[in-house]
Amino acid sequence: MTTATMQNTESTRQRSSFARVPAAFRLQFMIPSSLIWVPAMVFALAWGVSIGIGIWLDALADDRIPAEDPFYTGASQAALWCLAFMAGYAGSHTFPFSMALSYSRRVFVLGAGLAFAAVSAAFGLAFALAALVERATNGFGVESYTFDLPMLTEGPGGVASAGLLAGLLCLAVMLLGFGFVILFKRFGLMRMWLVLIALALVLLGVVMLITSQGAWPDVGRWFVEQNALSFSAYLAPAAIALGVVDYFMIRKAVP
Amino acid sequence: MSGNTAGQAIEVRSVTRRYKNTTALDDVTVSFGKDAIHGLLGRNGAGKTTLMSIITAQLWPSEGQVEVFGQTPHENEQVLPKICFVREDQRYPEDALAKHAFKAAADAYENWDWDFANRLIADFKVPQKTKIKKMSRGQKSAVAVIIGLASRAEVTFFDEPYMGLDAVARQLFYDRLLEDYAAHPRTFVLSSHLIDEIAHLIENVVLIDGGRILLDEPVEDLRDRAVTIVGRADAIAEFTTGREILHEETMGRIARTTVLGALTEAEQQRVRELDLDLQPVSLQQLIVRLTTRANAENTAEVQS
Repeated sequence: MTTATMQNTESTRQRSSFARVPAAFRLQFMIPSSLIWVPAMVFALAWGVSIGIGIWLDALADDRIPAEDPFYTGASQAALWCLAFMAGYAGSHTFPFSMALSYSRRVFVLGAGLAFAAVSAAFGLAFALAALVERATNGFGVESYTFDLPMLTEGPGGVASAGLLAGLLCLAVMLLGFGFVILFKRFGLMRMWLVLIALALVLLGVVMLITSQGAWPDVGRWFVEQNALSFSAYLAPAAIALGVVDYFMIRKAVP
Repeated sequence: MSGNTAGQAIEVRSVTRRYKNTTALDDVTVSFGKDAIHGLLGRNGAGKTTLMSIITAQLWPSEGQVEVFGQTPHENEQVLPKICFVREDQRYPEDALAKHAFKAAADAYENWDWDFANRLIADFKVPQKTKIKKMSRGQKSAVAVIIGLASRAEVTFFDEPYMGLDAVARQLFYDRLLEDYAAHPRTFVLSSHLIDEIAHLIENVVLIDGGRILLDEPVEDLRDRAVTIVGRADAIAEFTTGREILHEETMGRIARTTVLGALTEAEQQRVRELDLDLQPVSLQQLIVRLTTRANAENTAEVQS
C-alpha cells in the first residue's frame, strides 16, 4: 500500500524526537509553587526553626561553652522529603496532563528528570551556601549547625562536596518518589506493596548475611572511611539507574 | 472503505483490548479520513474512550495495530505532536488555574493560536481565579474544549465535549468548531452518546457497541438507511412483508414501523396508494435501532 504518498508536507516533515524536551521541562514548573516556592519555604522554615531552638537552648544552658558543645540538627532533610513528595505529584498529576498534551512518555520522563536535576542542583547549591553562612557566623553565634555538619563538610572538597552530595541525594530521592507513584500506576496497589515487601526482604537478607559473617565491624569501618565525595560517586550511578528504571516503568503506565 | 490509505488520518487494524475480565475492544478495524469531522458514537461503556486512548497512545492494544498518518503513535514524537486528546475526566496538576493549563498547551503545540484561545476564554467565561480542580463540570469541559480547539492539532479528539455545558455554551462550541474547521481544515473525532446534538456537525459516523464497530458510514448515506412508515396497521403489515423491521409500535389500528433500507420508486408509489405516511428517521433513532438490533442478534447467538 502506498501509505502517505499524498500527505502534505506538514504531516511528513521530520523533526527531532527530542524537540519537545524543553517544553516538557517547563511543564514541570507550570505551577511554580510545587517545585520551587514550597520546597524553598520548607528549606527556610526548617532552618529558621532549628536556629531558633539553638538560640533558645543556648539561653537556657548557662554553663554551656558553645565552641566545645556545638548543636547539630537534621533539619536539612526537610526540603529533601518535601521534594520527594513533589516529585510524586509530578507522577500522579503532571503525567496524566502531559498525556493529554500528547507528549511521548520518553520526552515526559526526560523533561521531568531534567527538572528534578535542576531543582536538585539548586538544593545542593543552597545547602553549600547555607553551610558557608553557618561557618562564617559560628553557627549564628551559638554553634548551631544544620548544614555545616563535620561528617559532610570535612572531607576532601569540603563544603562543595557536601553540596554535591546533597544535590545527588535530592535527585535520587526525587526519582524514587516519582518512581513509586509510577510503580503504583503501572502495577496497582497490590503489586506495589509486593515490590516494597520484596525490597524489605532483600534488605533483611543483607543484614542477616552481614550478621552471620560477623562483618559489622567491617561495615562500620567502611562507613567511617567514606566522605561526601566518595558517597557522591556511589549516588550518581544510582540516580541514573533510578531514572532508567522510572522510564521503563512509565513506558506502559496508564495516565 | 477502500484499500487506498492515502487521505486517511487514522487507521485502526484488528485492534483488541482486553482488561482482566472484559474485552473493551473486540477486533476493531476502522479508519478516519483526513480533514473531516467524525462522530464516534456509542452507549456508555461501548469502548469509545478506550479506542481514542489507544489511537492517541495513552493506552495500547492487546492485539492489532494503529497508525496515525502512517506511523505507530506509541512513543513516536514524529506524530504525537499532531494529536490532541483531553479526556472528559482529565486530571490537571494540583492547584492549576486555567491559564496555567493553556500556557502548557501553548508550549506543547506549535500551531497553538493565542488570539483564538483568548477569544474562546472570553466566550466560555472561563473563571480566571478558580483552580481547575474546583471548577464545575461545565467549566472543566470548557477548558478541555479550548485546549482542543486552540491547539490546532492535526488530529483532535473531543471526549463527550458537551458534558455539563449549558445550551448556549454547547452551541458556541459547535459554532466555533465549524468556523475554525472551515478556516483550518483538520481531523476531528467527537465522541458522544447524545447523537442528535452533533448530527449536524459530523460528516462521518462510526458507531461502536460492545467493543465492536457496528457502522462506519458518511452521514449522508445514513439518512437513506432506514425510513419510518406511519398508517393503518394492516396496510403497513402488507407493505413491510419481507423487509427487515428495525422497530414497531402500534396504537390501536395505527402502526409506526421503521424498516431498514431506502425505498425504491415503485415502493414509494405503493406507499401513496396504501395511504401511508413516510417520515425520515433521525440519526439518533437510527442508531438506537441499529444498536438494539445488534444486541438482540448477540443475545440470540448466545442462546442458540
